Amino acid sequence: MKLEQREPLLDSGFWRAVAVMTVISIVLMVGVVVFPVEKYLPEAANISKPIDDLFKFCAFFGAPIFVFINGFLLYFSIRYRRRPDEPIDAVGSEIHEHHGLEVTWTIIPSLLMIVLAVLSYLVIPMYYPTNQAFASAVTLEAIGHKFYYEFRYPGLKQSVMNELHLPIGVPVTVDLTSAEDEQDVHNGAVIHSFWVPEFRVKQDMIPGIVIPIHFTPSEIGMYRIVCSEFCGLGHSHMWGKVIVQTRAEFDAWYADQQRAAASPIAAPLSLAGGNPSAGQTIFNAKCTVCHNAAPFAQRKVGPGLAQLFDDPDHPDLVTGKKATPDNVADILEHGAHGDMGVMPNMQANGLTPKDVADLVAYLRTLR
Amino acid sequence: MSVTHVELPASSHIHPPPDTFIKKYVFSLDHKVIAIQYFITAGLFLVFAGLLAELMRVQLMGPNNHVLSVAVFNQAYSLHGTAMVWLVGIPIVTGAFGNLIMPVQIGARDVAFPWLNMLSFWMLPVAGILVFASLLFGAPQAGWTEYPPVSLQLPLGESLSLWCAGVFVIGVSSTITGLNFLVTIVKMRAPGMTYTRMPLFVWATGVTAFLSMIATANLSAALAGLFIQHNFGVPFYDVTRGGAPVLWQHVFWFYSHPAVYILILPAFGIVSEVIPTFVRRPIFGYKAIAYSSAAIGLLSFMVWAHHMFTSGLQHWEQLFFMLLTMVIAVPTGIKIFSWVTTLWRGKIRLDSPLLFVLGFLSTFTLGGITGVMLASVPADAQEHASYFVVAHIHYVLFGGTIFGIFAGLYYWWPKMTGRMLDERLGKWHFWLMYIFFNLTFLPMHWAGLMGMPRRVATYDPMFAGTNLFVSISSFVLAASILIFIYNAYRSARYGEPAGPNPWGARTLEWMIPSPMPYYNFRDVPIVLSGPYDYGKPLPYANISQDLAMTPVR
Repeated sequence: MKLEQREPLLDSGFWRAVAVMTVISIVLMVGVVVFPVEKYLPEAANISKPIDDLFKFCAFFGAPIFVFINGFLLYFSIRYRRRPDEPIDAVGSEIHEHHGLEVTWTIIPSLLMIVLAVLSYLVIPMYYPTNQAFASAVTLEAIGHKFYYEFRYPGLKQSVMNELHLPIGVPVTVDLTSAEDEQDVHNGAVIHSFWVPEFRVKQDMIPGIVIPIHFTPSEIGMYRIVCSEFCGLGHSHMWGKVIVQTRAEFDAWYADQQRAAASPIAAPLSLAGGNPSAGQTIFNAKCTVCHNAAPFAQRKVGPGLAQLFDDPDHPDLVTGKKATPDNVADILEHGAHGDMGVMPNMQANGLTPKDVADLVAYLRTLR
Repeated sequence: MSVTHVELPASSHIHPPPDTFIKKYVFSLDHKVIAIQYFITAGLFLVFAGLLAELMRVQLMGPNNHVLSVAVFNQAYSLHGTAMVWLVGIPIVTGAFGNLIMPVQIGARDVAFPWLNMLSFWMLPVAGILVFASLLFGAPQAGWTEYPPVSLQLPLGESLSLWCAGVFVIGVSSTITGLNFLVTIVKMRAPGMTYTRMPLFVWATGVTAFLSMIATANLSAALAGLFIQHNFGVPFYDVTRGGAPVLWQHVFWFYSHPAVYILILPAFGIVSEVIPTFVRRPIFGYKAIAYSSAAIGLLSFMVWAHHMFTSGLQHWEQLFFMLLTMVIAVPTGIKIFSWVTTLWRGKIRLDSPLLFVLGFLSTFTLGGITGVMLASVPADAQEHASYFVVAHIHYVLFGGTIFGIFAGLYYWWPKMTGRMLDERLGKWHFWLMYIFFNLTFLPMHWAGLMGMPRRVATYDPMFAGTNLFVSISSFVLAASILIFIYNAYRSARYGEPAGPNPWGARTLEWMIPSPMPYYNFRDVPIVLSGPYDYGKPLPYANISQDLAMTPVR
């Protein structure tokens, strides 16, 4: 490469631009290191911090790459603009290769990628149990349904719906899968996803496969469970809660659950004394996820319920029974499978017998 | 230039041009007319699909909005993705730009199989009608990926058959276009056009053609399975009867990851053409850019399962796909570094094609960095299927492909139509699009990391502010396209004649009149060296000398 210019190829302006970009990069890189992630999103499990650190690793080296590419784009396109006094067919430098430079920008990113891959691979065993090392962990089952989560604890006869209670500091393995009662293609199980953003845990729940995922809750609080895999009309509303408690609180809750299992509700539901305004509150909080308080045709997941007891076009309920208060209460208690989807039962919806009575009373006022 | 004219062999006779309207403009065999047909058809689909996106943004302006029902919202995002990938992106970057430019850049008079080319194009409106007609019967709702089993369930899958048929048809179109282009590039280069003298757009189109030809058959297989299960109950993806839902994901992504490179490689090619022209110097690292395209093409077949890191892969699979996904960032980085270095010590003219390319490099770089974040299996646990991914895909496919498409449109518009676009409008278009693109998609990264999943019609109120901001930005982003449409109209009415080579470029398409004449070259050109040696005499013989000047606008 023969060069005739007297001025150096990389002039002082170039080095000034590099200096500015270096300063901006260092500021950003320091910013990445000190950024308090947990202030914006709690790091509520043991694996949260390692995962955030991997993200920060990418951001730490991504920042200078971003700054230098954009900085050079800006600097070169201003610095080397054709000036009005230059001939219209002026051409730029003839230099079109530089092996040292090209080898450098091949090797350095390759090394970074290898380091990132190794660091990532070291984190994977932290949340996927690979062997018997996690035999000591408590194993729970989580089952995705349309559109709620069912959790099964060892030693509890009944499942817990939508609320995952966990004691702090106890390693857990959650076996994830997805299932429905109906096995035909139109109502069968679909893929859900179990995502707790505050834990940095996300795992698909796939019908027919059980996938274990492993973590230790490390911060007391209530966190979201979000379904991140499209699962049907109720997907937008498929939310659960994780409640991380102290060991004592958890034990108390667990004991409550055992007692509840021992004394099942013997008495049939009574609709007497239903309070319409209490029912309206429950309806707005829970039922509006899938139903409008509007005529039948204004459906969300299920039909509009405004004329439930007084609709000449739909005299029968989804169960095939007449639209009477008792039959509606039956659906609220046991759920239903229909052509529009699945109505979860009382337990899944977190309703008490009193709630059912209130809801029926409210629905009757809509006539 | 010692060689000035060479007698052609008798076989290179010229067919008479078509004489009826139907043969000339409807069932045309001319690659340039077919290219314009692709532009117009895919442009219409772009408007439809863009409006669907704006519908979604209206619904998402606030939490618990009821502008759209959940079902309509689901249909909107499903058809938005389907249309943008298969009816807009792939047809424009391959069918439109590939047809318009590639044959001329290699000195050919048409593609190898003009009749197949026409067939490929006519599959596009058929596919578009099939896909959009599904809206009338309840369009599919499970997103452009249509993961079974949910995509098969009623009422979500009411017109899944139409969707399958539409995508199948465009897949076949893409396959035969790939075959056509690959044969054209291998067999029909002008004398002297060795592989290392080919313009980089031809390199990109060649690799893309290879990907289209090999990969798309897998999509057809996956779709056939979905169609057969939907209509005849053969349980390919039904776990209760011996199938596997994850099977679809594997076969789908075995196509759809290469498809991402089908969408971006031609845009890379456009960037490689625009930069030397407007920087007035040889492109830095020609061979590195050309060979990295080939490397990306090859690697793109080995990374598909990085879309499935949360679907329960084995650990060795996770390591394998993570490593290769990270490796693919290296050739991509080589390209970007080479382009940026080309700007160094140029004589840069900041016209609108180059502005769009600079926008491309700026936004695509961020998309590349987030791509590496997504490649890390543990980090992906937080990012997968969230708005972080929505942001990432738009940074590479909007910030990449769409910016590349507009760079190519502003660059080759004079060649295609013979008239100039208005430069001031072009700059307005660029700045509005660049700024509001970033304002629309940058905040989505944050929402995703904080826990907002994609494909939801409502969301936690904590994301209300972000979503309102994003929605408003997206309206301006969409409006910026109107400037281009007006510019195109204005060019047709009042645009100044372009002349053969308004940018003073050196590739072969600029050596013939604008718009390009029927059969492109009176005499087949002879190529003496590579296309980017600015400041040196033109490397062609058999080009009529009065056109081969390099006037600069």
